[in-house]
Amino acid sequence: MSVSIDIEEVVKKYGNDTIINGLSLHVKPGEFFTLLGPSGCGKTTLLRMIIGFNSIEGGKIKVDGRVVNDIPTNNRNMGMVFQNYAIFPHMSVKENVAFGLRMRKVPENDIDKQVDEILKIVKIDHLKDRMPIKLSGGQQQRVALARAIVIHPEVLLMDEPLSNLDAKLRVEMRNAIKSIQRQINITTVYVTHDQEEALAISDRIAIMHNGVIQQIDSPKNIYQRPVNTFVSTFIGLSNLIDAEISKNQGCNASIVFDHGYCVFMENIKDTVKNGQKILVSVRPEEFHIRSAGEGLKATIKSSVFLGLTTHYFVQLENGQDIQVIQDRDEQDIIPDGTTIILAVNPQKINVFHYENKTTLIRGGKE
Amino acid sequence: MNYAGEKRFTIWSSFSLVILAIFALFIIYPLILVLCKSVIDPQSGNFTMSYLTKFFTRKFYWSTLINSLQVTACATLLAAAIGLPMAYVMRSVKIRGSGFLDILIVISYLSPPFIGAYAWIQLLGRNGVVTNWVNTIFGIQFDGIYGFAGIVLVFTLQSFPLVYMYVSGALKNLDNSLNEAAESLGCTGFERITKIIVPLVMPTLLASSLLIFMRVFADFGTPMLIGEGFKTIPVLIYTQFMSEVGGDDGFAAALCVIVIMMTILIFLAQRFLANRNTYSMTALKPMTAQKITGVKNMLSHAFIYLVVGLAVLPQVVVIYTSFLKSNGGQVFTGGFALQSYQATLFSKDNDVIWNTYMLGLVSITIIVVLGILISYLTVRKQSPLNSALDMITMFPYIIPGSVLGISFLFAFNNPPLLLSGTALIMIISFAIRRMPYTIRSSTAIIGQISPSMEEAAISLGATEMKSYTKVTVPMMMPGVLAGAIMSWVTVISELSSSIILYTNSTQTLTVSIYTEVIRGNYGNASAYSTILTITSIVSLLLFFKLTGKRDISI
Repeated sequence: MSVSIDIEEVVKKYGNDTIINGLSLHVKPGEFFTLLGPSGCGKTTLLRMIIGFNSIEGGKIKVDGRVVNDIPTNNRNMGMVFQNYAIFPHMSVKENVAFGLRMRKVPENDIDKQVDEILKIVKIDHLKDRMPIKLSGGQQQRVALARAIVIHPEVLLMDEPLSNLDAKLRVEMRNAIKSIQRQINITTVYVTHDQEEALAISDRIAIMHNGVIQQIDSPKNIYQRPVNTFVSTFIGLSNLIDAEISKNQGCNASIVFDHGYCVFMENIKDTVKNGQKILVSVRPEEFHIRSAGEGLKATIKSSVFLGLTTHYFVQLENGQDIQVIQDRDEQDIIPDGTTIILAVNPQKINVFHYENKTTLIRGGKE
Repeated sequence: MNYAGEKRFTIWSSFSLVILAIFALFIIYPLILVLCKSVIDPQSGNFTMSYLTKFFTRKFYWSTLINSLQVTACATLLAAAIGLPMAYVMRSVKIRGSGFLDILIVISYLSPPFIGAYAWIQLLGRNGVVTNWVNTIFGIQFDGIYGFAGIVLVFTLQSFPLVYMYVSGALKNLDNSLNEAAESLGCTGFERITKIIVPLVMPTLLASSLLIFMRVFADFGTPMLIGEGFKTIPVLIYTQFMSEVGGDDGFAAALCVIVIMMTILIFLAQRFLANRNTYSMTALKPMTAQKITGVKNMLSHAFIYLVVGLAVLPQVVVIYTSFLKSNGGQVFTGGFALQSYQATLFSKDNDVIWNTYMLGLVSITIIVVLGILISYLTVRKQSPLNSALDMITMFPYIIPGSVLGISFLFAFNNPPLLLSGTALIMIISFAIRRMPYTIRSSTAIIGQISPSMEEAAISLGATEMKSYTKVTVPMMMPGVLAGAIMSWVTVISELSSSIILYTNSTQTLTVSIYTEVIRGNYGNASAYSTILTITSIVSLLLFFKLTGKRDISI
């Protein structure tokens, strides 16, 4: 049965440095939960607190409702996949996978059966007797995964498991990991700094920055409705453009850009005031390029053709450099130096408070 | 990697030939001579097996080989049994003053083993401090540890640092995630050590054990001093060759051949084992020493301090003895004086220290220049000629010092190559003996320098020679210099070949220590030893300064 993980107000200190100060989150049973953030944000630290390699200086970590703070790692029944796989180099694939079962004093013929079964699931049953040195990176990754899940852990923890693989293998392995996780339905906490990987693999993502969780949400919501400018610029590309609120009594608000371009918004919070300064976040692919009409006036500085899309580097009238991405079939590549008009889609753009950088879109969390 | 592939003969080929000629003259030729002498009757000039039969038929002779093997095996096992747990404890537990302890361990390793032998005689010998003390307290007649026990004690304490340093290095490359993975799978404590740590450091443990085996097997000074009736084969060789009444060249040569056969066997065993099970490991996050508490902590500290204490005890005894007041000879009269230093350091006509430094420095210069060149040739200019070079330059590695000394005397005792008795023969023997170590470390360093560095220099218009001297050599220099310092320390503490090759005008510190000990003048011997120890410590500090490291790999 899958279990939940509750992290309540945990604190991590190294000497006098507080790395994590009162962090809470809840992982649902069977969920694929990802901790995502730039390096040094505390995501690996948190993962190692869950498994017990790092001590906990405050708060509680509960698995299935039981507090695990004082349970030693080897009794927590959690499987872990390490960044460098940590395959024992002196043992064959089979011996590596059987190791945890031997430690649990599983009878030898059961071990054989379970090892065979799990090796089939991770699709390396033909490599059973190989030594680790003769395995490719992806194969080692599968051994590490098999070794972690063969012991039927309550929780599976993965610390940047794909970061040592090349780009193509990374995509292949993340699909494999996701489907195996689905198959055995195990609560999984996954750490990565690769946003694309996080978006592709997770049920929910927690974005961390400086030891603080910025947002926990589904990949789609994180991308489309970031709660603050950190999330909006960390996940994908975002152009942040200064603007102002224009609001008549009682009515919905509009946003007005520097040179008078005005967009009517239906989903902006009621707390905004007329004339309030804001930041508008626009994804490069959400601009519409026009030759005339309403919009931001801009000049194309240069362009990059990428096959599927074309990337434009453009300069707004106020001198700000922004990026615009257009689908291939929308039009021919526009020559450098051309003056264009950029229109935005009010349903897709995000609006943030100018000072505290949090979202002003209704339904978004503060 | 051979840029000048089309040009068959380059400046590099001539270097190869010259170096090959040097090694042929100073290694191959003397060894062939030894081989010849061992099977040719000097009177008739005919082939004879009489020398070899003499050895294997008389118990007095062949028992020395058995003795050697017993002592060596025991000391090696004990050294491994001490060195391995020490390395693990030092890597995993925070030990107070571990940096200082590390230095003490290295110092005890670098001092010549026979100094340990005579220091232990002063403690546990027939008239030793501890012996007398034990005998009065318990009213027994303990006769001191001579023979088997004494030799094993000295060799064990002298050799475990090597196991310690090697295993410690291996543990540093062991990623902590392996420990964590084991732990997450339910394997902790002692079980984790036996299932994960020991198997992983086993290749290193074997390699270092065989190195010790070779060193101990070939050592001459220790069994000579503390062995008494218990004769090992290097002692037999020395006495057969040097004895004033009827030194027997042919028989000594036969003994040399037997010893070389043994060391070749050990060397091949080491090669075989080393190639078979090495795990290439690199640690992202090495193990860190953890602070622990309670009984475990106390036991760890007690174990480490006890072993390190025993290992440096000889040095302490020696330094203490050097300040004792004596009657100018063998008897200490109580109280302290600088007498021993006056008799050694400041006496006129005493060139011992000057000799040691001069011979050592010249040898090191030769070692560094040739070592860099040879390793460069064998790594970057691969050809049949250079493969031969690679093999021949490794030869001295397996030749015990006393054998090399004897073979030199055989080869260079007559014109036109009359070198015996000169400083040159000492320098050549030092250089040849230590060369393999420098070549090996330089080879490792070159391996880390990308060939594209030189290719870049050549593409910018430098000649091959220029790119070598301006790019490769400067990049190698820090590593090579560090290696040279270690070689220097081993050169100045060398005894087994210099005891055979020295004359009055080329007497070195170690030879003086040895002869003073034989004369029973422990005061003077200790003063010399102290000077040697201080030189080693200063060199070691220089090494640490230069490399910024606290580890040593030899």
